[in-house]
Amino acid sequence: MLAPNGEFVRSEQSHLSDQELLLAVDGELSEREAGPALAHLATCWACLARKQEIEAAIGDFMRLHRGNLGRNIPPPEGPRALLKAQLAQLAQTERPPWFRGFSLRPALAIVLAAFGLGLIAYLISAPWTVRQTTRLVAVTVPNPSLTPGATVLVSREEVCRESNTKNKAVPVAVQRAVFDEYGIRTAEPRAYEVDYLITPALGGADDIRNLWPQSYKATDWNAEVKDALEDHLRDLVCDGKLDLATAQHEISTNWIEAYKKYFHTDRPLSRHR
Amino acid sequence: MPGSPESDTMAALSTADIRPANPSAVEQEVIELFDQWREPLLRYLSSGTSVAFSDSEDIIQETFLALFEHLRRGKSRHNLRGWLFRVAHNLARKQYRSRQDSKNIPQSTLAIEDSLVDPGPNPEDQLATSQTKRCLRAILQALPEQNRWCLYLRAEGLRYREIAEVLGMSLGSVSLCLERSLARIARAEW
Repeated sequence: MLAPNGEFVRSEQSHLSDQELLLAVDGELSEREAGPALAHLATCWACLARKQEIEAAIGDFMRLHRGNLGRNIPPPEGPRALLKAQLAQLAQTERPPWFRGFSLRPALAIVLAAFGLGLIAYLISAPWTVRQTTRLVAVTVPNPSLTPGATVLVSREEVCRESNTKNKAVPVAVQRAVFDEYGIRTAEPRAYEVDYLITPALGGADDIRNLWPQSYKATDWNAEVKDALEDHLRDLVCDGKLDLATAQHEISTNWIEAYKKYFHTDRPLSRHR
Repeated sequence: MPGSPESDTMAALSTADIRPANPSAVEQEVIELFDQWREPLLRYLSSGTSVAFSDSEDIIQETFLALFEHLRRGKSRHNLRGWLFRVAHNLARKQYRSRQDSKNIPQSTLAIEDSLVDPGPNPEDQLATSQTKRCLRAILQALPEQNRWCLYLRAEGLRYREIAEVLGMSLGSVSLCLERSLARIARAEW
Protein backbone atom coordinates (compact mmCIF):
# COMPACT_ATOMS: atom_id res chain seq x y z
CA MET A 1 0.00 0.00 0.00
CA LEU A 2 1.34 3.44 -0.95
CA ALA A 3 1.34 6.12 1.81
CA PRO A 4 0.69 9.84 1.05
CA ASN A 5 4.46 10.50 1.14
CA GLY A 6 5.05 7.93 -1.65
CA GLU A 7 6.48 5.25 0.64
CA PHE A 8 5.14 1.75 0.95
CA VAL A 9 3.37 0.90 4.22
CA ARG A 10 3.07 -2.76 5.14
CA SER A 11 2.49 -5.26 7.82
CA GLU A 12 5.09 -8.01 8.19
CA GLN A 13 2.62 -10.66 7.03
CA SER A 14 1.51 -9.04 3.75
CA HIS A 15 3.42 -10.07 0.63
CA LEU A 16 5.61 -7.63 -1.26
CA SER A 17 4.29 -6.31 -4.58
CA ASP A 18 6.41 -6.73 -7.73
CA GLN A 19 7.15 -3.03 -7.61
CA GLU A 20 8.39 -3.26 -4.00
CA LEU A 21 10.52 -6.26 -4.91
CA LEU A 22 12.11 -4.37 -7.78
CA LEU A 23 12.74 -1.35 -5.56
CA ALA A 24 14.39 -3.69 -3.06
CA VAL A 25 16.54 -5.27 -5.80
CA ASP A 26 17.55 -1.83 -7.07
CA GLY A 27 18.28 -0.41 -3.60
CA GLU A 28 15.60 2.24 -4.15
CA LEU A 29 13.54 1.63 -0.98
CA SER A 30 13.88 4.26 1.72
CA GLU A 31 15.50 3.20 4.99
CA ARG A 32 12.08 3.08 6.63
CA GLU A 33 10.69 0.84 3.87
CA ALA A 34 13.74 -1.39 3.54
CA GLY A 35 13.65 -2.82 7.09
CA PRO A 36 10.17 -4.40 7.01
CA ALA A 37 10.64 -5.50 3.36
CA LEU A 38 13.88 -7.35 4.10
CA ALA A 39 12.37 -8.85 7.25
CA HIS A 40 9.49 -10.18 5.19
CA LEU A 41 11.79 -11.57 2.50
CA ALA A 42 13.76 -13.44 5.16
CA THR A 43 10.65 -15.41 6.08
CA CYS A 44 8.69 -15.67 2.82
CA TRP A 45 9.90 -18.03 0.11
CA ALA A 46 7.12 -17.00 -2.23
CA CYS A 47 8.35 -13.39 -2.27
CA LEU A 48 11.98 -14.53 -2.37
CA ALA A 49 11.23 -16.65 -5.46
CA ARG A 50 9.53 -13.70 -7.18
CA LYS A 51 12.51 -11.51 -6.33
CA GLN A 52 14.80 -14.06 -7.97
CA GLU A 53 12.59 -14.07 -11.08
CA ILE A 54 13.05 -10.32 -11.34
CA GLU A 55 16.79 -10.70 -10.93
CA ALA A 56 16.81 -13.39 -13.61
CA ALA A 57 14.90 -11.10 -16.00
CA ILE A 58 17.48 -8.37 -15.35
CA GLY A 59 20.22 -10.91 -16.06
CA ASP A 60 18.63 -12.00 -19.36
CA PHE A 61 18.20 -8.43 -20.45
CA MET A 62 21.73 -7.39 -19.52
CA ARG A 63 23.30 -10.36 -21.29
CA LEU A 64 21.59 -9.34 -24.50
CA HIS A 65 22.28 -5.65 -24.07
CA ARG A 66 25.94 -5.75 -23.11
CA GLY A 67 26.80 -8.95 -24.96
CA ASN A 68 25.75 -7.83 -28.40
CA LEU A 69 26.78 -4.23 -28.44
CA GLY A 70 29.64 -4.30 -25.96
CA ARG A 71 31.95 -6.38 -28.10
CA ASN A 72 31.17 -4.47 -31.28
CA ILE A 73 31.43 -0.87 -30.22
CA PRO A 74 33.97 0.84 -32.47
CA PRO A 75 37.20 2.02 -30.81
CA PRO A 76 37.09 5.54 -29.37
CA GLU A 77 40.25 6.95 -31.02
CA GLY A 78 38.59 8.31 -34.17
CA PRO A 79 35.56 9.91 -32.47
CA ARG A 80 37.81 11.28 -29.69
CA ALA A 81 40.14 12.86 -32.24
CA LEU A 82 37.19 14.40 -34.05
CA LEU A 83 35.78 15.78 -30.80
CA LYS A 84 39.17 17.23 -29.85
CA ALA A 85 39.42 18.95 -33.22
CA GLN A 86 35.93 20.37 -32.93
CA LEU A 87 36.54 21.56 -29.36
CA ALA A 88 39.79 23.25 -30.37
CA GLN A 89 38.02 25.02 -33.19
CA LEU A 90 35.10 26.00 -30.98
CA ALA A 91 37.48 27.38 -28.36
CA GLN A 92 39.16 29.55 -30.99
CA THR A 93 36.07 30.84 -32.70
CA GLU A 94 33.79 31.59 -29.77
CA ARG A 95 34.08 34.48 -27.36
CA PRO A 96 35.53 33.53 -23.97
CA PRO A 97 33.04 33.17 -21.13
CA TRP A 98 34.36 36.12 -19.16
CA PHE A 99 33.38 38.41 -22.03
CA ARG A 100 29.76 37.28 -22.03
CA GLY A 101 29.14 38.18 -18.44
CA PHE A 102 31.06 41.46 -18.60
CA SER A 103 29.08 44.36 -17.22
CA LEU A 104 29.93 47.61 -18.96
CA ARG A 105 30.17 50.85 -17.08
CA PRO A 106 28.15 53.61 -18.76
CA ALA A 107 31.17 55.75 -19.80
CA LEU A 108 32.94 52.77 -21.28
CA ALA A 109 29.73 51.79 -23.02
CA ILE A 110 29.58 55.21 -24.72
CA VAL A 111 33.18 54.93 -25.92
CA LEU A 112 32.59 51.42 -27.25
CA ALA A 113 29.34 52.49 -28.93
CA ALA A 114 31.18 55.33 -30.70
CA PHE A 115 33.90 52.91 -31.77
CA GLY A 116 31.26 50.48 -33.02
CA LEU A 117 29.55 53.20 -35.09
CA GLY A 118 32.90 54.16 -36.59
CA LEU A 119 33.60 50.53 -37.44
CA ILE A 120 30.21 50.12 -39.10
CA ALA A 121 30.82 53.27 -41.16
CA TYR A 122 34.19 51.86 -42.24
CA LEU A 123 32.70 48.53 -43.21
CA ILE A 124 29.99 50.22 -45.27
CA SER A 125 32.55 52.36 -47.07
CA ALA A 126 34.79 49.39 -47.91
CA PRO A 127 32.55 46.38 -48.47
CA TRP A 128 34.62 44.87 -51.26
CA THR A 129 37.76 44.67 -49.12
CA VAL A 130 35.97 42.92 -46.30
CA ARG A 131 34.27 40.44 -48.55
CA GLN A 132 37.49 39.75 -50.35
CA THR A 133 39.26 39.01 -47.04
CA THR A 134 36.50 36.72 -45.84
CA ARG A 135 36.48 34.91 -49.14
CA LEU A 136 40.21 34.38 -49.12
CA VAL A 137 40.08 32.81 -45.66
CA ALA A 138 37.11 30.67 -46.57
CA VAL A 139 38.74 29.14 -49.60
CA THR A 140 42.12 28.41 -48.06
CA VAL A 141 41.05 26.55 -44.94
CA PRO A 142 37.51 25.52 -44.03
CA ASN A 143 35.48 27.49 -41.52
CA PRO A 144 35.47 25.15 -38.49
CA SER A 145 31.98 26.11 -37.40
CA LEU A 146 30.61 25.22 -40.85
CA THR A 147 32.95 22.35 -41.68
CA PRO A 148 34.17 20.59 -38.53
CA GLY A 149 34.64 17.33 -40.47
CA ALA A 150 32.64 14.12 -40.11
CA THR A 151 33.55 10.45 -40.44
CA VAL A 152 31.75 7.16 -40.95
CA LEU A 153 32.41 4.02 -38.92
CA VAL A 154 34.93 2.22 -41.02
CA SER A 155 38.05 0.17 -40.32
CA ARG A 156 41.51 0.55 -41.83
CA GLU A 157 41.00 -2.72 -43.73
CA GLU A 158 37.78 -1.45 -45.29
CA VAL A 159 39.43 1.83 -46.26
CA CYS A 160 42.38 0.06 -47.87
CA ARG A 161 40.24 -2.57 -49.58
CA GLU A 162 38.53 0.12 -51.65
CA SER A 163 40.45 0.37 -54.94
CA ASN A 164 38.66 3.43 -56.28
CA THR A 165 39.92 6.39 -54.22
CA LYS A 166 38.41 9.03 -56.44
CA ASN A 167 35.87 11.10 -54.52
CA LYS A 168 32.34 10.74 -55.79
CA ALA A 169 30.79 13.86 -57.28
CA VAL A 170 28.96 16.12 -54.84
CA PRO A 171 25.39 16.78 -56.09
CA VAL A 172 24.85 20.27 -57.51
CA ALA A 173 22.21 21.09 -54.87
CA VAL A 174 24.65 20.23 -52.08
CA GLN A 175 27.40 22.25 -53.77
CA ARG A 176 25.03 25.21 -53.89
CA ALA A 177 24.24 24.78 -50.20
CA VAL A 178 27.97 24.78 -49.41
CA PHE A 179 28.54 27.96 -51.45
CA ASP A 180 25.55 29.56 -49.68
CA GLU A 181 26.95 28.65 -46.28
CA TYR A 182 30.26 30.25 -47.15
CA GLY A 183 28.59 33.33 -48.61
CA ILE A 184 30.11 32.92 -52.09
CA ARG A 185 26.91 32.53 -54.10
CA THR A 186 28.20 34.66 -56.95
CA ALA A 187 31.55 32.90 -57.23
CA GLU A 188 32.65 31.24 -60.44
CA PRO A 189 31.83 27.56 -59.70
CA ARG A 190 34.67 26.24 -61.83
CA ALA A 191 37.17 28.08 -59.66
CA TYR A 192 36.26 25.81 -56.75
CA GLU A 193 36.14 22.19 -55.83
CA VAL A 194 33.49 21.46 -53.22
CA ASP A 195 35.81 19.17 -51.37
CA TYR A 196 35.59 16.72 -48.51
CA LEU A 197 37.60 17.93 -45.53
CA ILE A 198 38.23 14.29 -44.56
CA THR A 199 38.25 12.46 -47.86
CA PRO A 200 35.95 9.40 -48.09
CA ALA A 201 39.09 7.49 -49.05
CA LEU A 202 40.12 8.03 -45.40
CA GLY A 203 36.66 7.37 -43.92
CA GLY A 204 35.23 10.89 -44.36
CA ALA A 205 31.43 11.15 -44.32
CA ASP A 206 29.19 12.24 -47.16
CA ASP A 207 27.86 15.07 -45.01
CA ILE A 208 27.67 18.84 -45.46
CA ARG A 209 29.68 19.27 -42.25
CA ASN A 210 32.51 17.56 -44.09
CA LEU A 211 32.28 19.71 -47.25
CA TRP A 212 33.77 23.10 -48.08
CA PRO A 213 34.52 25.16 -51.18
CA GLN A 214 38.22 24.93 -51.90
CA SER A 215 39.77 27.12 -54.55
CA TYR A 216 41.90 25.58 -57.30
CA LYS A 217 43.92 28.68 -58.03
CA ALA A 218 43.31 31.42 -55.44
CA THR A 219 46.33 30.52 -53.30
CA ASP A 220 49.27 28.17 -53.30
CA TRP A 221 47.38 25.92 -50.90
CA ASN A 222 44.76 24.82 -53.39
CA ALA A 223 42.62 21.74 -54.02
CA GLU A 224 45.30 19.92 -56.02
CA VAL A 225 47.78 20.28 -53.16
CA LYS A 226 45.26 18.88 -50.71
CA ASP A 227 44.51 15.96 -53.06
CA ALA A 228 48.21 15.09 -52.97
CA LEU A 229 48.14 15.10 -49.17
CA GLU A 230 45.06 12.85 -49.13
CA ASP A 231 46.73 10.31 -51.42
CA HIS A 232 49.90 10.37 -49.34
CA LEU A 233 48.05 9.89 -46.01
CA ARG A 234 46.05 7.00 -47.44
CA ASP A 235 49.25 5.32 -48.61
CA LEU A 236 50.72 5.72 -45.11
CA VAL A 237 47.57 4.29 -43.49
CA CYS A 238 47.44 1.32 -45.86
CA ASP A 239 51.16 0.65 -45.43
CA GLY A 240 50.58 0.48 -41.68
CA LYS A 241 52.78 3.53 -41.02
CA LEU A 242 49.96 5.74 -39.70
CA ASP A 243 46.71 4.84 -37.97
CA LEU A 244 43.46 5.90 -39.56
CA ALA A 245 42.23 8.00 -36.62
CA THR A 246 45.42 10.05 -36.62
CA ALA A 247 45.17 10.65 -40.37
CA GLN A 248 41.55 11.80 -39.96
CA HIS A 249 42.48 14.04 -37.05
CA GLU A 250 45.46 15.62 -38.81
CA ILE A 251 43.59 16.43 -41.99
CA SER A 252 40.51 17.80 -40.19
CA THR A 253 42.47 19.92 -37.71
CA ASN A 254 44.70 21.76 -40.18
CA TRP A 255 45.38 20.18 -43.53
CA ILE A 256 48.07 22.74 -44.42
CA GLU A 257 50.07 21.92 -41.29
CA ALA A 258 49.59 18.23 -42.05
CA TYR A 259 50.94 18.75 -45.57
CA LYS A 260 54.02 20.55 -44.20
CA LYS A 261 54.56 17.78 -41.68
CA TYR A 262 54.20 14.81 -44.01
CA PHE A 263 56.00 16.31 -47.01
CA HIS A 264 58.69 18.01 -44.86
CA THR A 265 58.26 21.36 -46.55
CA ASP A 266 56.92 24.83 -45.77
CA ARG A 267 55.52 25.37 -49.25
CA PRO A 268 53.56 23.15 -51.66
CA LEU A 269 55.87 21.06 -53.81
CA SER A 270 55.89 22.12 -57.46
CA ARG A 271 54.72 18.69 -58.65
CA HIS A 272 51.55 19.07 -56.58
CA ARG A 273 50.51 22.57 -57.79
CA MET B 1 25.38 1.94 -9.27
CA PRO B 2 26.15 3.09 -5.71
CA GLY B 3 29.76 2.81 -4.71
CA SER B 4 31.02 2.18 -8.26
CA PRO B 5 33.84 4.29 -9.68
CA GLU B 6 31.37 5.85 -12.11
CA SER B 7 28.95 6.95 -9.39
CA ASP B 8 31.81 8.20 -7.23
CA THR B 9 33.06 10.34 -10.09
CA MET B 10 29.61 11.76 -10.66
CA ALA B 11 29.15 12.50 -6.97
CA ALA B 12 32.43 14.37 -6.97
CA LEU B 13 31.39 16.29 -10.04
CA SER B 14 28.06 17.26 -8.57
CA THR B 15 29.64 18.72 -5.45
CA ALA B 16 32.35 20.62 -7.32
CA ASP B 17 30.18 23.49 -8.52
CA ILE B 18 33.08 25.70 -9.54
CA ARG B 19 33.32 28.07 -12.45
CA PRO B 20 35.88 26.71 -14.95
CA ALA B 21 39.26 28.41 -14.87
CA ASN B 22 39.97 28.42 -18.58
CA PRO B 23 38.71 26.88 -21.82
CA SER B 24 41.58 24.43 -22.15
CA ALA B 25 40.79 22.98 -18.70
CA VAL B 26 37.17 22.60 -19.77
CA GLU B 27 38.30 21.01 -23.03
CA GLN B 28 40.36 18.48 -21.10
CA GLU B 29 37.47 17.76 -18.74
CA VAL B 30 35.07 17.23 -21.64
CA ILE B 31 37.46 14.76 -23.27
CA GLU B 32 37.76 12.83 -19.98
CA LEU B 33 33.97 12.69 -19.65
CA PHE B 34 33.76 11.61 -23.31
CA ASP B 35 36.11 8.71 -22.60
CA GLN B 36 34.02 7.73 -19.59
CA TRP B 37 30.53 8.08 -21.07
CA ARG B 38 30.80 7.56 -24.83
CA GLU B 39 30.26 3.82 -24.62
CA PRO B 40 27.23 3.90 -22.26
CA LEU B 41 25.68 6.68 -24.36
CA LEU B 42 26.34 4.74 -27.56
CA ARG B 43 24.68 1.65 -26.09
CA TYR B 44 21.68 3.64 -24.90
CA LEU B 45 21.18 5.57 -28.14
CA SER B 46 21.57 2.61 -30.46
CA SER B 47 19.45 0.21 -28.38
CA GLY B 48 17.09 2.27 -26.26
CA THR B 49 16.11 4.94 -28.76
CA SER B 50 15.21 4.50 -32.41
CA VAL B 51 18.21 6.20 -34.00
CA ALA B 52 20.46 4.24 -36.33
CA PHE B 53 23.73 3.03 -34.88
CA SER B 54 25.69 5.09 -37.41
CA ASP B 55 23.90 8.28 -36.28
CA SER B 56 24.61 7.67 -32.59
CA GLU B 57 28.25 8.81 -32.86
CA ASP B 58 27.11 12.10 -34.42
CA ILE B 59 24.61 12.67 -31.61
CA ILE B 60 27.31 11.98 -29.04
CA GLN B 61 29.66 14.48 -30.68
CA GLU B 62 26.90 17.07 -30.58
CA THR B 63 26.15 16.24 -26.95
CA PHE B 64 29.75 16.78 -25.85
CA LEU B 65 30.07 20.01 -27.83
CA ALA B 66 26.97 21.19 -25.94
CA LEU B 67 28.60 20.06 -22.68
CA PHE B 68 31.67 22.13 -23.54
CA GLU B 69 29.48 25.22 -23.97
CA HIS B 70 27.56 24.38 -20.80
CA LEU B 71 30.71 24.12 -18.69
CA ARG B 72 32.49 27.02 -20.34
CA ARG B 73 29.60 29.29 -19.43
CA GLY B 74 29.99 28.24 -15.81
CA LYS B 75 26.61 26.51 -15.66
CA SER B 76 25.65 23.90 -13.06
CA ARG B 77 27.76 20.78 -12.69
CA HIS B 78 25.07 19.01 -10.74
CA ASN B 79 24.68 15.44 -12.03
CA LEU B 80 26.52 15.71 -15.34
CA ARG B 81 25.80 12.07 -16.08
CA GLY B 82 22.05 12.79 -16.07
CA TRP B 83 22.69 15.96 -18.08
CA LEU B 84 24.56 14.02 -20.79
CA PHE B 85 21.88 11.37 -21.09
CA ARG B 86 19.11 13.99 -21.17
CA VAL B 87 20.76 16.02 -23.95
CA ALA B 88 21.63 12.90 -25.98
CA HIS B 89 18.10 11.53 -25.52
CA ASN B 90 16.52 14.79 -26.67
CA LEU B 91 18.81 15.04 -29.71
CA ALA B 92 17.96 11.45 -30.62
CA ARG B 93 14.23 12.15 -30.36
CA LYS B 94 14.62 15.27 -32.47
CA GLN B 95 16.50 13.39 -35.15
CA TYR B 96 14.06 10.51 -35.12
CA ARG B 97 11.12 12.89 -35.56
CA SER B 98 12.79 14.75 -38.41
CA ARG B 99 13.59 11.47 -40.17
CA GLN B 100 10.04 10.31 -39.75
CA ASP B 101 8.84 13.59 -41.22
CA SER B 102 10.99 13.00 -44.28
CA LYS B 103 9.76 9.37 -44.45
CA ASN B 104 13.29 8.13 -44.03
CA ILE B 105 12.80 5.68 -41.19
CA PRO B 106 16.07 4.42 -39.74
CA GLN B 107 17.02 0.82 -39.27
CA SER B 108 15.17 -0.70 -36.32
CA THR B 109 16.90 -1.60 -33.09
CA LEU B 110 16.22 -5.23 -33.83
CA ALA B 111 18.03 -5.07 -37.14
CA ILE B 112 20.93 -3.13 -35.64
CA GLU B 113 21.51 -5.62 -32.88
CA ASP B 114 21.11 -8.51 -35.32
CA SER B 115 23.86 -7.07 -37.45
CA LEU B 116 26.13 -6.87 -34.43
CA VAL B 117 25.48 -10.31 -32.97
CA ASP B 118 28.62 -12.16 -31.96
CA PRO B 119 28.13 -15.82 -32.93
CA GLY B 120 28.08 -18.38 -30.11
CA PRO B 121 30.87 -20.85 -29.46
CA ASN B 122 29.30 -23.82 -31.33
CA PRO B 123 26.32 -24.33 -33.67
CA GLU B 124 23.98 -25.78 -31.00
CA ASP B 125 24.72 -23.09 -28.47
CA GLN B 126 24.52 -20.57 -31.21
CA LEU B 127 21.06 -21.76 -32.22
CA ALA B 128 19.72 -21.78 -28.65
CA THR B 129 21.27 -18.42 -27.87
CA SER B 130 20.05 -16.81 -31.03
CA GLN B 131 16.49 -18.10 -30.44
CA THR B 132 16.50 -16.68 -26.91
CA LYS B 133 17.90 -13.42 -28.15
CA ARG B 134 15.36 -13.20 -30.95
CA CYS B 135 12.55 -13.79 -28.48
CA LEU B 136 13.92 -11.23 -26.05
CA ARG B 137 14.41 -8.67 -28.79
CA ALA B 138 10.83 -9.17 -29.94
CA ILE B 139 9.65 -8.47 -26.39
CA LEU B 140 11.78 -5.35 -26.15
CA GLN B 141 10.53 -4.11 -29.50
CA ALA B 142 6.94 -4.54 -28.36
CA LEU B 143 7.42 -2.49 -25.19
CA PRO B 144 6.03 1.06 -25.11
CA GLU B 145 8.95 3.37 -25.90
CA GLN B 146 8.90 5.01 -22.47
CA ASN B 147 9.26 1.60 -20.80
CA ARG B 148 12.13 0.78 -23.12
CA TRP B 149 13.90 4.07 -22.41
CA CYS B 150 13.62 3.45 -18.65
CA LEU B 151 15.01 -0.06 -19.02
CA TYR B 152 18.03 0.96 -21.09
CA LEU B 153 18.80 3.99 -18.90
CA ARG B 154 18.69 1.79 -15.81
CA ALA B 155 20.96 -0.70 -17.60
CA GLU B 156 23.52 2.09 -17.96
CA GLY B 157 23.54 2.64 -14.23
CA LEU B 158 21.18 5.59 -13.81
CA ARG B 159 19.26 5.79 -10.57
CA TYR B 160 15.46 6.19 -10.67
CA ARG B 161 15.67 9.89 -9.83
CA GLU B 162 18.12 10.46 -12.71
CA ILE B 163 15.92 8.52 -15.14
CA ALA B 164 12.96 10.64 -14.03
CA GLU B 165 14.97 13.79 -14.78
CA VAL B 166 16.19 12.57 -18.18
CA LEU B 167 12.71 11.61 -19.35
CA GLY B 168 10.69 14.23 -17.46
CA MET B 169 8.66 11.61 -15.62
CA SER B 170 7.68 11.10 -11.98
CA LEU B 171 9.64 8.73 -9.79
CA GLY B 172 6.58 6.46 -9.45
CA SER B 173 6.19 6.25 -13.23
CA VAL B 174 9.82 5.20 -13.66
CA SER B 175 9.37 2.46 -11.10
CA LEU B 176 6.15 1.30 -12.78
CA CYS B 177 7.71 1.27 -16.26
CA LEU B 178 10.65 -0.82 -15.05
CA GLU B 179 8.46 -3.23 -13.16
CA ARG B 180 6.19 -3.81 -16.18
CA SER B 181 9.10 -4.25 -18.58
CA LEU B 182 10.85 -6.80 -16.37
CA ALA B 183 7.58 -8.62 -15.71
CA ARG B 184 7.14 -8.94 -19.47
CA ILE B 185 10.64 -10.39 -19.84
CA ALA B 186 10.18 -12.71 -16.85
CA ARG B 187 6.91 -14.11 -18.27
CA ALA B 188 8.48 -14.99 -21.60
CA GLU B 189 9.04 -18.65 -22.38
CA TRP B 190 12.09 -19.64 -24.36
